[in-house]
Amino acid sequence: MSITRRSLAPAIVLPFVSVKVFAQAANPARTLVVAVPSDAVGLEPGTNRAEPIGSEIILNVFDTLVSWTPPEFNTLEGRLARSWTISPDGRSFEFELREGVLFHDGTALDAAAVKFSLERTRAMNPFAQASFNLINEITVVSPRLVRIVLKEPYPAFMSILAQPQSAIVSPAAVARLGDQFANNPVGTGPFIFRSRQADTNIVLEANAQYFRGAPKLDRLVYRIIPNASTRRLELENGGVDIIQQAGQLAAIPAETIQALRNNRNITIIEVPSQIIRQLEFNNNKTTGPIADIRVRRAITHAIDYDGLLQGIFGNTADRVYGPLTSNSWAFNPRIRDLAPKYDPAQARRLLAEAGIRPGSLTLPLYTFQGALWGAVATFVQANLADVGINVTIQQTEFPALRALHTSGNFDIALDGRQPWYNDPDAHITIGYLSSLADTAMTFRFPKDDALDAQILKAQQTVSMEERKALYFKLQEEILARAPGAFLFSPKLIVFARANIRGLVINSAPPLNEYWGVSKQ
Amino acid sequence: MRSMGGLVHFLRTNKVAGFGVALLAFILIAVLVGPVFYEVSPIRLNILKRLAPPGPDFWLGTDSLGRDVLARLLHGGRVTLVVGCSVVALAFAFGVTIGMISGFAGGWLDWFIMRLADAMLSFPSLVLAIALAAAFGPSLENAMLAVAITLMPQFARVARGQAISVSVKPYVDAAVTLGLPRQRILLRYVFANAVGPLMVQATLALGAAILQTASLGFLGLGAQPPAAEWGADVSINLDFVRSAPWVALVPGTGILLTVMAFNLIGDGLAEWMDPRRRPLIG
Amino acid sequence: MVFVAGRIVAAIPVLALVLIIVFLLVRAIPGDPAVVLLGPGATREQVAALRDQLRLDLPAPQQFLEYVAALARGDFGLSLKTGEPVLTEILLRLPATIELTLMAMLVAVVVGVPLGVICATRVNGPLDHLLRLVSLVGVSIPAFLLALLLQLVFASYLGWLPVSGRSSALVTEAPITGFAVLDAILRLDSAGLQSALAHLVLPCAVLAAFLAATLGRYVRNSMLETLGEDFVRTARAKGMTRPRIIYVHALRNALLPAVTILGLKSAEMLGGAILTETIFAWPGIGRYMFEAIRNRDFPVIQGTTLVFALIYVMASLAVDLIHGALDPRVRRRML
Repeated sequence: MSITRRSLAPAIVLPFVSVKVFAQAANPARTLVVAVPSDAVGLEPGTNRAEPIGSEIILNVFDTLVSWTPPEFNTLEGRLARSWTISPDGRSFEFELREGVLFHDGTALDAAAVKFSLERTRAMNPFAQASFNLINEITVVSPRLVRIVLKEPYPAFMSILAQPQSAIVSPAAVARLGDQFANNPVGTGPFIFRSRQADTNIVLEANAQYFRGAPKLDRLVYRIIPNASTRRLELENGGVDIIQQAGQLAAIPAETIQALRNNRNITIIEVPSQIIRQLEFNNNKTTGPIADIRVRRAITHAIDYDGLLQGIFGNTADRVYGPLTSNSWAFNPRIRDLAPKYDPAQARRLLAEAGIRPGSLTLPLYTFQGALWGAVATFVQANLADVGINVTIQQTEFPALRALHTSGNFDIALDGRQPWYNDPDAHITIGYLSSLADTAMTFRFPKDDALDAQILKAQQTVSMEERKALYFKLQEEILARAPGAFLFSPKLIVFARANIRGLVINSAPPLNEYWGVSKQ
Repeated sequence: MRSMGGLVHFLRTNKVAGFGVALLAFILIAVLVGPVFYEVSPIRLNILKRLAPPGPDFWLGTDSLGRDVLARLLHGGRVTLVVGCSVVALAFAFGVTIGMISGFAGGWLDWFIMRLADAMLSFPSLVLAIALAAAFGPSLENAMLAVAITLMPQFARVARGQAISVSVKPYVDAAVTLGLPRQRILLRYVFANAVGPLMVQATLALGAAILQTASLGFLGLGAQPPAAEWGADVSINLDFVRSAPWVALVPGTGILLTVMAFNLIGDGLAEWMDPRRRPLIG
Repeated sequence: MVFVAGRIVAAIPVLALVLIIVFLLVRAIPGDPAVVLLGPGATREQVAALRDQLRLDLPAPQQFLEYVAALARGDFGLSLKTGEPVLTEILLRLPATIELTLMAMLVAVVVGVPLGVICATRVNGPLDHLLRLVSLVGVSIPAFLLALLLQLVFASYLGWLPVSGRSSALVTEAPITGFAVLDAILRLDSAGLQSALAHLVLPCAVLAAFLAATLGRYVRNSMLETLGEDFVRTARAKGMTRPRIIYVHALRNALLPAVTILGLKSAEMLGGAILTETIFAWPGIGRYMFEAIRNRDFPVIQGTTLVFALIYVMASLAVDLIHGALDPRVRRRML
């Protein structure tokens, strides 16, 4: 204690004298600092939990077989795979790997490594099992050729292979590190994991041997800063270079955008996402007011969609009309017209038809914590009050809400889904297939063989044109059942210092890639 | 023993306590009577006029959803005062009863109750409150219950101390020998003596109760939207503090002034109790 | 010696009670940790299987006994969120909280005690009134408001201090002791020391404010009491000069309540640390506990609460011992 006391006096003066208190440990011009709201949970595919920060790190430390081409993200390109073929029946995928790709520990990438990685992830990661259980067999045809055979045809499988869970790990490193591999991930990617301090930072270093070329940065540092205003302050002061805003459940970006728009040191990048947030009904409940489709339709007419987008989001979110976002290749343009319009008079008529007197219905509305959800809930509450439905807001924590959801103990809730792979299957199958009704993140559809058959057919049809037609029909069918009021799709908003170039922002999953980034 | 007249005289002459009472009176009148005259709704949304600065339409401006800040201040104040008083009343009732029982009973019961109180005191009170609010669901009632539980041990301790010190006093034995029932004597003397310190404890506990419930509200574990509550209002508007700082600062200052008022009164009462200090402070 | 032993023995049932209370509390929190672990795509069967594996469906008393047995082995369980041993995770974050809390206590004493002394020596003067007002604000201000104001003024408008966090991004050397200030000194790293101290200033100020103000008030009152006492008048009559009276006699007597308060408030300070750590993104166990409660990470909640309780009990013990050392009457009374 006495050491601290003696050095306290002069040391307290010094920070006031120096303008920036950075240690001279690295070159700032080649170090990129990214601010994130929480610590990463899984740093390698085997422990990945579809949690954004860990997943983004995986995308930068590892490579996948294929990935989506920026900036449109609707065509696939080979990453570790140089080329691939898909069998006509849609069940067999054969990949030819690139030559000369090395893992960070110097061992070479080969088909055996690919087989090892995917099988390992399937065995140890419960989050991956839903997608990977479709795999029947993985065969090493030759050191450069690997074949994956599925149980059923599944065109979206290519999208699954582009996800962080499908990243390829170094078998030698896994053998050497065992359990510790989770804390010392070794892949082929543009950045090498160097160190992490719990709840503080994660440090990655450039991989000079990267097969696409060495990154233009020396270091990539993730700083964990939970508070949104603090992140913004750090960005303005130059303490961080990049913050990614929307998609998060907590902060409202509109105000930040306003404030930062005039700041010449900061650029704002807005990218449409495939996230859908909705007011959903418990579609599995056969009793209660919500079981009546007229009541559900009434609620969908009661909401002032444009007012919500304008007033709360200030145009940092897009309107969602149905089960898919408008930027999806399978989006049915007719949905724009079929979607319920804001019409309180119609809402009141429908409620009267259903025999509900104004003021007689009281419903709890469950949603997540945070200012954003609170604001949306309050807005919806006011809208519904206008048509005579009383709503009490219950903001709960994530696990409690999920528990309510899976047990079906709710009538209406504000919820959302962020697709983790780039295919309409992510929204449609997961959302509306009745056999999945008891898992979280679904609309809890009751058993409907016809609808289920359609969903599975669209999932398994090989021809893209045919799939598109099937998804068009599905969107109309689902919308007709009024499963919820589709509210908004938040844009992905990245705030970056003006001197940052070459940032790649994926939309599904919404993660950034830093290989091409440089600072002017 | 002090008389009511003495108390009033003291409040008039002692500047500290007097100021506290005046401040509290101002707050009370504002929040209890104010909404009667200022009839603006605290929950009505004016999305198009969000974050408006103070002006003729909205005397203290509007918050992030366009609600009137002054209205939310006044209604939130009601909530805060009601919450504070209920919490302290609950903690007082249970804490003093348990403390008295512990003090009179002595022996194993006393020992056990005191260890229980120690155990409760060794929880950071915020943790206990967060855990309880998380266990029983986020709501103002649950937050109040949590805070009340964390404030009980202190009342129990003071009450127990009083009970013990009185039970060994000679005049108790004297009264018993005169034929008066022991229980009644104890209670009468204990209450007479304990009222002072307990009142001081209670006013300080009011301040603590308000701070803790506000903290819970700040963390989202107290009153649920759209209810106006000072702690929650600070946290809802924190994102906008750079462009519209007053929206978060106004309810925060409300909390500050209210707790200050209670602390001033508590200080004043403490001075009034203690004759040795009076000549030195004034 | 009997005194010391007596106090230690009294602490054990307290800890046991804390354990039981936490255990019950944690079980009462709704939300299934298996669901959190497995994620949104999990089926009912998977959740049931994991619950079985984690032995979540065993009767509570049995779970409790198993937990206590494991604790005795030093096994605090595995975090439900990350799968890492809880004890390791806590130890990783403990230095940050201890550094913050100790610094805050130091600041509180260094600021609060002189504050009280100044007030007492200039009683009823303008400085006394001003400092009393400042102390009053200090005990009445909600921590989150103070944090907000300090951040706005010193970090946002003036830009003198960093907004949050424990160190700036580019300080990435591995920690030696885990205490940023000590590590920087040991590495002879002046820039790192600057950074560590600069990051400490605001969170310390917020955490110390309440305690400093409380100490100031108590010291002032206690000194005024003492100054009015007979022995002081006697000493004055004997010709002892004013400063000696104050500093030697009155202050020593005022230290007693100060020490008591320090000990009692250390638990509250740990609670305050939770809020402060969350606001300033300080990577300590306060924030860790808060996140764990949100994530329903039972083993972590239990572990961190136990650690908090341990710290409080030890601090109370230390206070009692110091009390006993300073005042022989107390030793006899406390038995």
